[in-house]
Amino acid sequence: MEIFQVVGIGLTGAVLAVYVKESNREIAVLISLATGLVLFLYALSQVGAVISVLSELASRANINIFYLTTVLKIMGIAYIAEFGAQICRDAGEGSTATKIEFAAKILVMVLALPIIMALMESVLRLLP
Amino acid sequence: MNIELIFQIAGIGILTSIFHIVLKQAGKEEYSFIATLAGVAIALIMVVQLLAELLNQVKGVFFL
Repeated sequence: MEIFQVVGIGLTGAVLAVYVKESNREIAVLISLATGLVLFLYALSQVGAVISVLSELASRANINIFYLTTVLKIMGIAYIAEFGAQICRDAGEGSTATKIEFAAKILVMVLALPIIMALMESVLRLLP
Repeated sequence: MNIELIFQIAGIGILTSIFHIVLKQAGKEEYSFIATLAGVAIALIMVVQLLAELLNQVKGVFFL
């Protein structure tokens, strides 16, 4: 069971960060960042299998591959932005975290615009 | 999952805090600041390498 490893790593990182925090605040932020990176890397190695299954399903259902890659890109942007924003918020930089989230929202909107335009065009074609 | 990195960074943190206390007791305030800065820089280099690996993997998985 790998969930025990994940929980163990998380708890170890949290305890070490709390222990170091009172003497050395920057290192505590780096410890929590490293813990998050290790856990995120592990989760990402599992996500790869899911995404290959998803793309196979999409190719069987004759869905345009462009839409799937757009959705996957949006997922990636959301994960990365959430990670960075949480680290910034843990370090006490709430305003930087808010700006990261704002930039991520803008990037997601830019990626989603072609899909919205395609939807609009199909709706217009249905209308008499 | 390389948990050694977390222990290494925590060790650097504890060592730098000990250096800080010792150098402060010896009356070398400026050296204690530099020692803390060096510890933070070393830990930052280690974390940034892991971060680059993570970003590369995200780039590969999500077609970014």
